[in-house]
Amino acid sequence: MALFEVHGLVKRFFGVTAVDGVDLALERGELVSLIGPNGSGKTTLFNCVTGYLPVDGGRVVYRGEDVTGAPPHRVARLGVGRTFQIVSVFPRLTALENLLVFLQQHQEESFPGRLFRTGRVRRFEREALDRAAALLDLVGLASHAATRAGHLSYGQRKLLAFAAALMPDPELILLDEPAAAVNPTMINQMKDRIRALHRAGKTVLLVEHNMDVVMDISERIVVLDHGQKIAEGPPDAIRRDPRVIEAYFGT
Amino acid sequence: MRRIAWTLGALGLVAVPWIVAGVAPGQRRYILHILVLTALWGALALSYDLVVGHVGSLSLAHPAFFGIGAYAAALLATEARWPFAAGLAAAVGLAGLAALAVGVPLFRLTEHSFAMGSLGFAMVTSIVATNWVDFTHGPLCITGIPKPALGPLRIVTLPQFWWLALAAVVLVALLYHGLTTFRLGRAFHAVRDNEGLAAAAGVNALKYRMLAFVIGAALAGGIGALWVGYINVLCPSELAVSVTVNLLVIVFLGGVGSLRGVVAGAVLFTALPEILRVAPTWRLVIYGSLLLVIVVKRPEGLETALRALGRRGARAA
Repeated sequence: MALFEVHGLVKRFFGVTAVDGVDLALERGELVSLIGPNGSGKTTLFNCVTGYLPVDGGRVVYRGEDVTGAPPHRVARLGVGRTFQIVSVFPRLTALENLLVFLQQHQEESFPGRLFRTGRVRRFEREALDRAAALLDLVGLASHAATRAGHLSYGQRKLLAFAAALMPDPELILLDEPAAAVNPTMINQMKDRIRALHRAGKTVLLVEHNMDVVMDISERIVVLDHGQKIAEGPPDAIRRDPRVIEAYFGT
Repeated sequence: MRRIAWTLGALGLVAVPWIVAGVAPGQRRYILHILVLTALWGALALSYDLVVGHVGSLSLAHPAFFGIGAYAAALLATEARWPFAAGLAAAVGLAGLAALAVGVPLFRLTEHSFAMGSLGFAMVTSIVATNWVDFTHGPLCITGIPKPALGPLRIVTLPQFWWLALAAVVLVALLYHGLTTFRLGRAFHAVRDNEGLAAAAGVNALKYRMLAFVIGAALAGGIGALWVGYINVLCPSELAVSVTVNLLVIVFLGGVGSLRGVVAGAVLFTALPEILRVAPTWRLVIYGSLLLVIVVKRPEGLETALRALGRRGARAA
């Protein structure tokens, strides 16, 4: 059984069918990219499967559990991490606090436990701080731990958002355009980090417009056009697929 | 050094009745009265800021919860002869329950619609208080509300009321601090800063909004009970929209989301209209102009001015 399955997903906005019966399955540990021209429904699909948008048809199954229509915070707590196309941080929290928020809802603690700061609660706090320090280090923001996220540069916020999504160690990670609007050096670093996630055994679904990145790191590519899946396969096959070429360049 | 300053400050606050008696014996009663009101307004504004400043929901319903607590305490004390502590507990509980009940439909609305919905609730509460004459006495007001008594300890004199109000504002401030820092505070602020991202972090925005709303309302209800215990009369005008305006001025011009800012706002905007009584004709003109100056010069509230002062003080020392 696949880790994550989407069956016949449909999403309509008034008259427009943004996602039209898309099937998708991710095996544990796979790195899959979702590509397609602007307006082909990639981000809508992301928002539907993570509970941000109600769906009009189809099912979303994660680890054998039907999560169709589940609210986004529930999907997140089941172990699905995601980033957003428009860089999202909590501007008035510090970089460190931004990361801590992402772990705390995964740590079950009781009110009396918190009140008396039991050993369990102290261990949670230590774990969270250690993990946050390691992730800030990973994305090169260690020296900005106490800076308010709103004061960071665009690129730094993008890195912070990426680190935050990794904070609860999600099994499935959905990345929405991680390489968009960043400089070439950072694109390469981002590519390396996504590869590292893949090597660590994480399942990654990537939406990306930068074809170099997509072709370079994906094991499998799914192509959407006008809300429908028009092709699926390894990078080399997709590059040569006439339907994909037509969708991108027209005739 | 800090500890000494804090201890001196605390001693000073406790000793306020004697300080006032020493400095201005002729005006003693009047000044103490204003100080009691300042403390109660401070506590009310802090309870309001839990909702507005920390989960970012612009509720305009706060006077309704204050009023529900005030009416519960007043009616239980005059009609049912309940002791003060029981009335206070009932005021806290009823205001909290009311918030829970109206919060469920209200939080289906977002941003401006939420503000309008909560304003609607506040107006309905005020209309009920005015027109349900059999129950609330309407514009005839509830009179003869007994002074509070905690067991054998009866609170009658102005200094005693000052200490009671001081205890209330300190208690609310401690609670405010505990709720808005650490783990819970982080979840509140995540919801306030970016609700969509908070959901991606697994934070249930509705749950935390509701929590802040209900706790804020319960505290407002308790302050309502203290208020009627002090003033001994309760009229429907205490629930009017003007209360919301006062709270908005204190919280937003003081420093939304900041304990220090809200307390500074309460002190300034309760004392200021009184100080301006030296110029009765121009009082409201001066008050309004000052509000404008603050909005223009310190749009983030007095808190930023306090912080700058603190930095300058640190550099000088």
